[in-house]
Amino acid sequence: MDFLQILAKRLVGLVVIVTIATFLLSLLTWLLPGDAAEVIAGGAAPQVIESIRQDLALDEGVFGYYWNWYTGLLTGDLGRYYLAGGYREVSEVVGQTLPVSLQMLIYAQIVSLTLAVPLGLVSAYKENSRFDRIVSSTLFTMVSFPSFALALIMSLVFAVQLEWVDPIGYVAPSENLLEHLKLMILPVISISVGLTSSYTRLLRNDVIQTLKEDYVTMAASKGISDRRILFRHVFRPSSTTLLTSAALNMGGLIGGTIVIETIFVIPGIGYEIFYAIGSRQLIAMQTLIALIATFYVFFNTTVDLITQVVDPRTRERRV
Amino acid sequence: MSETISTADSADTGPLAPAAKRKRPVGFYLAGSWLGSIVLLGLFGALLPLRQWDLASYDYLGALPGTPGHPLGTTQDGYDMLSGLINGARISIFVSFFAVLFGGGIGALIGITSAYFRGKYDLIVVSIFNIMLSIPNLVLSLALLSTLAYSSPDKPATLQRRLIILILSLTIVIIPILGRIARASALQWSSRDFVVASKSMGTRNFTIIRRHILPNVAPAILAIGFLAIGSVIIVEGSLSILGIGVPGGASWGSMLANGRGNIAFSPHEVYMPAICIALTVISSNWFGDYVRSRLDLREAKI
Repeated sequence: MDFLQILAKRLVGLVVIVTIATFLLSLLTWLLPGDAAEVIAGGAAPQVIESIRQDLALDEGVFGYYWNWYTGLLTGDLGRYYLAGGYREVSEVVGQTLPVSLQMLIYAQIVSLTLAVPLGLVSAYKENSRFDRIVSSTLFTMVSFPSFALALIMSLVFAVQLEWVDPIGYVAPSENLLEHLKLMILPVISISVGLTSSYTRLLRNDVIQTLKEDYVTMAASKGISDRRILFRHVFRPSSTTLLTSAALNMGGLIGGTIVIETIFVIPGIGYEIFYAIGSRQLIAMQTLIALIATFYVFFNTTVDLITQVVDPRTRERRV
Repeated sequence: MSETISTADSADTGPLAPAAKRKRPVGFYLAGSWLGSIVLLGLFGALLPLRQWDLASYDYLGALPGTPGHPLGTTQDGYDMLSGLINGARISIFVSFFAVLFGGGIGALIGITSAYFRGKYDLIVVSIFNIMLSIPNLVLSLALLSTLAYSSPDKPATLQRRLIILILSLTIVIIPILGRIARASALQWSSRDFVVASKSMGTRNFTIIRRHILPNVAPAILAIGFLAIGSVIIVEGSLSILGIGVPGGASWGSMLANGRGNIAFSPHEVYMPAICIALTVISSNWFGDYVRSRLDLREAKI
């Protein structure tokens, strides 16, 4: 198959998956025994409820309702929050919050990769040494440590008891860079710990495999130093799994940031979902969850596609 | 693709991994005894002569650990921490056990039959699994729970009702995860010679699945089930922090969520349940990883 065919196939798959997933989500909203408009408005005047019902096409059956939402989505109308003071466009909220979440994720990725690369290389180089065993078991424990428990314990120790940083809040980098970075420390560490563990283990495994290759023995026999072999000859061929996994995690993490953003009150997309649930904004909630799912599927598809282009062996149909 | 809680890549590097060593590692016993005591406390904790977990004593508000009568202190609202934690163990184990049991059972049934019969049925099952797996765990359970929990604003959300809704949502989340593993494993066994032979002798499909495929697939599901328990506890805790899990400090996650506001005055309200959750998740992962490394299931993912 050539590239265009693969691309077309994957794009169709992407659209189908997102369409069905969002339809199931709207079915959930539709199945509410009460009136969705009343739930959203929460005790507003009858005219307001009626206008919400009109706006969401709640009278037109589940397909009408879904179609209204879906076509809106395609034309860039992401729906509204229906608040006591009036409307608030979801697209506006997404525009403000998504960059904040992405920024935090990128910090977390940078921190994790910076830690994982030397740890992985060294523990693979010294396989089964005391260092390797200590690193491996520590990381295995850390990967199963729930990030929210870590976040709460860290904010207890570093923010409340030691008062090194503020426990909650967010400052934009353009406003005050130092303050921004200080507030980002705890959330980024909470996310990074699990990531660092899984990245280190991936890299370690791959490096151990690569170190067994003939060309490494060859390089060693030519008298090239171990350090040079490790960084120049081994690191690059061993890093593909790591990079794939890092890219895939961007999709998965955007869902995982919900709790961290809620704990540290960071105005990202995760916090916005929390808010939408708390204030019963069903449409905003549905749209935001759909966006996260789309983001996730999109990243997975893209990474899959790149892997298939780069490595033809993966094009075989997996059973 | 798995969440960050994935332990899939740990197959050869976990501290429990070297299956060649005959000796069981220390971690196995530590993890086992923690899980064992949690389950025992959860089951029989109600028989201990403790305070009622949901009965506040107004003489002790936010007492520190070590206060007479309250060995682990009290919350700012006067609830006893020790009995709260024991009750939390009960709820957390109850929720995760049943979610994994139902989810694993249904998932295994769907996965095995789908791998065995193949054809259109298999195609539909695989597509549905893929669609469900395309939404991150927490987001899917959030969507399910937040809509299901709103289902009747008139009826008061009792603890039982919330628990049932929570288990239902988590079950739905678990089904595709364990279902996919069951399918992958059953696929290998369905084409084995003894299955083909049995089929050619006219054995009924149901009998073949029950006698030849299920026993071979079961260990894989069991190992991943342990890992799934850890993930479910994390999701339950996350949902509680977001305010839509179990209400009223009845589970560990819920205690954490309630204690967050009092973090400056009584830190034990936060770190105690947090440590309980962390230890349980770590233990079930170690345990699951050990079982998996013994069975040599390398490709298994959650």
